[in-house]
Amino acid sequence: MNLDELANRYLDGQASAEEVLQLDHLLRTQAASRRHFADLANLDSALAEQAAGWEPQPLSKPAPAKPLRTAPSRLCLAAAATIAVLITSAWWWQSSTHIYATVARGIGLTEFPQGMEIYRKHYSIQSGTVEFITARGARVVIEAPASFQFASAQLLHLKQGRLAADVPPAAKGFTVITPTGKAVDLGTKFGVDVPADGQAEIHVFQGEVIAQSDKGGKRQSLRDGEAYSLQSGAGAAREIRSAAFIQPDEMQALQAALTSGQRARSDAAIAALRQDESLIALLDFEEETLPSGTFRMTQGRWPGSRAPEFVHVGDHMKLTAGGNGRSWPQLTLAAWVRLDRLGQPYQSLYHTDGWDEDKPGQVHWMINRDSTMRLALKHNTLAPGAVEKQGFPDSLTPVLPEQGRWVHLAVVYDAPAATVRFYLNGRFDKETRQATAHPALLGPAQIGNWNSKDRKLSGRVDELILLGRAMTDDEIRALFDAGNPYH
Amino acid sequence: MSPAETEQHQRFLRALTAHEPAVRAYVRRLVPSRADADDVMQEVAIVLWDKFGEFREGAEFRPWAFSIARFKVLSWLRDKGRDRLVLSEEVVDLMAEENALDETRLERQRRALEACTQKLEPDQRQLLMQAYQPQASIQNIATTSGRTVAGFYQWLHRIRRLLQDCVQRELAKEEPS
Repeated sequence: MNLDELANRYLDGQASAEEVLQLDHLLRTQAASRRHFADLANLDSALAEQAAGWEPQPLSKPAPAKPLRTAPSRLCLAAAATIAVLITSAWWWQSSTHIYATVARGIGLTEFPQGMEIYRKHYSIQSGTVEFITARGARVVIEAPASFQFASAQLLHLKQGRLAADVPPAAKGFTVITPTGKAVDLGTKFGVDVPADGQAEIHVFQGEVIAQSDKGGKRQSLRDGEAYSLQSGAGAAREIRSAAFIQPDEMQALQAALTSGQRARSDAAIAALRQDESLIALLDFEEETLPSGTFRMTQGRWPGSRAPEFVHVGDHMKLTAGGNGRSWPQLTLAAWVRLDRLGQPYQSLYHTDGWDEDKPGQVHWMINRDSTMRLALKHNTLAPGAVEKQGFPDSLTPVLPEQGRWVHLAVVYDAPAATVRFYLNGRFDKETRQATAHPALLGPAQIGNWNSKDRKLSGRVDELILLGRAMTDDEIRALFDAGNPYH
Repeated sequence: MSPAETEQHQRFLRALTAHEPAVRAYVRRLVPSRADADDVMQEVAIVLWDKFGEFREGAEFRPWAFSIARFKVLSWLRDKGRDRLVLSEEVVDLMAEENALDETRLERQRRALEACTQKLEPDQRQLLMQAYQPQASIQNIATTSGRTVAGFYQWLHRIRRLLQDCVQRELAKEEPS
């Protein structure tokens, strides 16, 4: 085999061990061979560079096989050739300007106006969310804080941030490169989460994605509902967190709400609540100093606002409020929640520390395994005839729509009336009557993750409210309406 | 980032964007596959940014980047050499040295190639670009183009030879006669 053949086989990954040895010998001993090899490899990388900016164009059907002989036909042929050249040049000109994507919509930021063309350039965003459509038609949503660069219509470097991609067949092969590995789409919907520190994760909502960690990680095929952490070397399977990503179809509703001034209404409602004499705690997580705990700060339900996110078992935030020997005959608990996943185990919203025999009225608020809501108070009992099977007041409607969105959860406890009333997205869901109804006992508590064995929270929490009175149906409805991030 | 850091970052990005194709091509000439080149490039970019503080204003970015890329390729070879079919470190080091000196010629080749791929028949060019897509499946492309895999590689080699010849001709045109 001559040098040319050996070099070509090597560059295509086809060379056998023996052929590589032969090539190595030639290159070691002959400067001219090295020069020739460098030319070939150089051509190879230049072709790859071109291919990265290449857009497939429809090919005209080949001319019928019947030979054309007449003079007019030849003219036609010549004309056709000229047109082909023109089209080719137009294509070439277009691809050499390298518009890799355009902005479909940006919310909560001004740097990305609709229609803006995206070239090979680094971008950093501190707040907001932006949706791109690549030249091949893939929809890509990137959530701040993020730092990224399109290297082509099919290749995106994501140094930090959260991305959801909806990739049509034409854009199959769309690749996201993270600092710890890459994801190659095979026609699908998927998300990539690259935290400021820590490993990148790939979550596949639909279809198939190839994940490959850096430093010799094996290629891993991921399918619907699977997630994987990209680590240097071997990666590891993860629980899917589908709702951790803002998807293209959610963007529109978020943008409409912002445009219609919903954020201002929400701020006004929060300001009014802060004046409520019965307010025990209101966390909108916008203050500089946050309660202690283990959590990640992410975007809240408004692009540009903040919310804690709990990912791993054990992640939590400490909250001490409403204690000091006081108890609460009436209590309203409410929060905006974006849960990453459904089902096992319990999702802990707000748990006072402990569940002690000598503390009747201790409050535990959570989502059950079947995704209904529960409010448990220590030593309370159900009224006779209750439908509850597990001895605690549970809501009726599963609180989590399958699709990841912000949802408003509220529960109103009234000890004198012996009732627990549940609300989902502002709507009354169910009332459970209690036989024994102790006044609620608060104090030291945790948001997220109560018991390291069976209770965690996987998702984000925004605008958590503890109010020492019973809100009415209308008030809960108004709270939801004012704080709803969707239009 | 402080304003000074932001400024430094922007300076770095401008330099990297301008020279990245050359550095990538340099790495490509030293490792077996394009995917390997991508992997090494990621690490090179990180080191370049880390060490950008040591980079002297006014010095040439490209030779500096080449020297870091050369170092990264060699350490990559040491990691991979046992389980991959790679050229020996000695040869790679030699080529790294020579290629850096030869960069002007190689860059002119890369530029000339643009004119040459345009001269291909549209369907040939389409097939070629498909084969060079990241993660392209040669098996599938070969099948759809009505060839065996071996036949497709033969075709690919022939096209590359055509392009190589074309590049030589284009460059000869540039030379003052």
